[in-house]
Amino acid sequence: MRIQAGIVIASLAILFTVACRSNRNPNAKQLTLAVNSGVEGDALKQAAKDYEAQTGVHINIAEFPYANLFEKEMIDLTARAGAYDLIMLDDPWFPKFASQQLLTELSPLLKTKGQSGPDEDFVPTSIALGREPYQTGALYALPYVGNSQLLFYRKDLFAKHNLKEPATWDEALAAAKTLSDLEINGAPGGGKVYGYVMRAAQGNAAVADFMPIFWAFGGEMFDAGGRPAVNSPEGIAALRLMLELGKYSPPGYASFNADEVGAHLLQGTAAMSINWPAWISAFDDPSRSKVIGNMAFTTLPGAKNPGRAEIGNWLIAIPRDARNKEAAFEFLLWATSAEQMKRSALRGNPPTRKSLFTDPELVNKFPAYPAQLRSLESSRPRPRTPFWNEIENVFGIYLSKANSGELSPEDAMNQANAEIAKILERGK
Amino acid sequence: MGVGFRVPGVGSDKALAYLLLAPTLFVLLALSIYPLIHAVSLSLQITSGGIARWSPQNFVRLVSDQFFLAALGHTLIFAVVALTLEFLLGLALAVLLNKQLRGRSFFRAGLLVPMMLPTVVVGVIWRLMLNPNFGAVNGTLKGFGLNTAALTWTSSPRLAMFSIIAVDVWQWTPFMFLILLAGLQAIPQEPYEAALIDGSSAWQTFRHVTLPLLKPAILVALLLRTMDLLRVFDQVFILTEGGPGFATETLSLYIYRTAFRFSDFGYAAAMSFVLLLITNIISAFYIRLLQAKES
Repeated sequence: MRIQAGIVIASLAILFTVACRSNRNPNAKQLTLAVNSGVEGDALKQAAKDYEAQTGVHINIAEFPYANLFEKEMIDLTARAGAYDLIMLDDPWFPKFASQQLLTELSPLLKTKGQSGPDEDFVPTSIALGREPYQTGALYALPYVGNSQLLFYRKDLFAKHNLKEPATWDEALAAAKTLSDLEINGAPGGGKVYGYVMRAAQGNAAVADFMPIFWAFGGEMFDAGGRPAVNSPEGIAALRLMLELGKYSPPGYASFNADEVGAHLLQGTAAMSINWPAWISAFDDPSRSKVIGNMAFTTLPGAKNPGRAEIGNWLIAIPRDARNKEAAFEFLLWATSAEQMKRSALRGNPPTRKSLFTDPELVNKFPAYPAQLRSLESSRPRPRTPFWNEIENVFGIYLSKANSGELSPEDAMNQANAEIAKILERGK
Repeated sequence: MGVGFRVPGVGSDKALAYLLLAPTLFVLLALSIYPLIHAVSLSLQITSGGIARWSPQNFVRLVSDQFFLAALGHTLIFAVVALTLEFLLGLALAVLLNKQLRGRSFFRAGLLVPMMLPTVVVGVIWRLMLNPNFGAVNGTLKGFGLNTAALTWTSSPRLAMFSIIAVDVWQWTPFMFLILLAGLQAIPQEPYEAALIDGSSAWQTFRHVTLPLLKPAILVALLLRTMDLLRVFDQVFILTEGGPGFATETLSLYIYRTAFRFSDFGYAAAMSFVLLLITNIISAFYIRLLQAKES
């Protein structure tokens, strides 16, 4: 029995030592990066390997799926644990991190390099995202991947029915109706082509597909006094147009996310959509696409206002409590340099530098770059508020309710407005 | 036991028992009790401008939060309907497969497959099968000449709840079946022989012999399933993400969003506490029934 008791105590002791042992040596030359698992994070991972080979700085990668990346970073940064030296951020998260002063200001670090500000080559709408307040404030992040929405449409079907590239949402709606009515058997595998397809699943999906219509109709999420104003006449009119487009969308679109929209476009069963550049290359892949060479990409239609895309950039920032800020900044500058960003672009990520969007080699490989640059330069960020995740969630719920027929456009917008007001009230 | 191990002044067996229990107690304290206390204290604080203060605000908000009330309602509907269906189907299958059937072991093994799959995998498979345009379900129905235009399984507010219940029933009926079958096999033959001699009908035998003797197994199965159903997360997250328009948002999903998407840990803790309370009350009810029977 004495032996058994000894074993129990010994196991406990081992457990404790294992639990308490720190495996980090803060003095070693190494960096830890939190990245998104996906094409954007992959490019940064590759870059990290190259950097390690060139400089000998060891880089650890902490990779998380998109759905978990935000929470991992938020928990680590608010706990001031200092686990990451660099983090990748989706731009709508940025106000939350910046407003809580969780990031390192970059201007002083730039000064040590003799630079008074970030490189002029960055697209202004991209670099503006890394400032708090937006566009005018201090710089906390550099843009790495320059996504913004585009209108995808089937140029073969548009030509067949003498339709021109839609410049307004009314034209887009008319085209969607024409195609839905006439292409009853036009899909590559037989069956109907729907004129339009969208993501209306609650949350990010519905909101992202609605915002460009909302803005084009003159809607604004907040009025000049910062109060929510989504139930303005412009906002309700925009939602009506979304529901009209829904009539020419495949059944069940109210729960569609990116995968379903992508599938419909690739199978040739839908003719038009708001989508993101990451999908462009799939249309030339014979194993996935039945519409090779038939998809065109352009800037978004307008209405009362010119069409403007929603921007969706990946930013890289240095947490306030990072352990190796100088080394992290060296890597950040290196990874976002024109030379390295070109390598990321060749791996499939849209750049955030003007010189790369016009680089002949890249334009030859990615013919949509001119349209992407036009879209990016005129794009808008999602409303900049630390409460964006919550607001997007309730707004998405009511947009989804309107699209599934549960609420009228007026009721949906009125109720969304009331809930957004509650969120702002709680945040005070 | 108790050979040669002595702690001065303490009975040796007791000391050893405590010592051997210590690791379990330590793990329980560290991983269950401490987080529970911490969660309760979190739920009683609100943070504004980076400063936390004590306040019952989170619990007050519960009552007026229509999303919380809706999620609670969805969770209860989901749990009650799924539990009833799973129990009835599980019982029927158990009674059926307790008989001498040809291919009995094949059916028994086959029935357990859904339960062995990870819930996430089940969610993904069903999401694909229920896709209104490309999915196998509507494809098969179309093959029979049915008009499937209105059957948008996961995107119409009414069908979406039906769909997540159906998937849960598909996956977890085998669990009910397994426990009830074990319960049936533990019933001795004698009561049945006695009932036969007394000339009882098949229904009477089932009602007055099988059911009362199966009661402990039934209660254990219901208890375990109820706890699982009340905290349902994975299938719903994958099948509908709570949509369309909140129609299938369950409490766990809403708690997850509140904590990890909106970083409002206090309110999430308050909701978790309510969920824990409900689960505890229902479990206590089952356990009392179980003990009443045993004594």
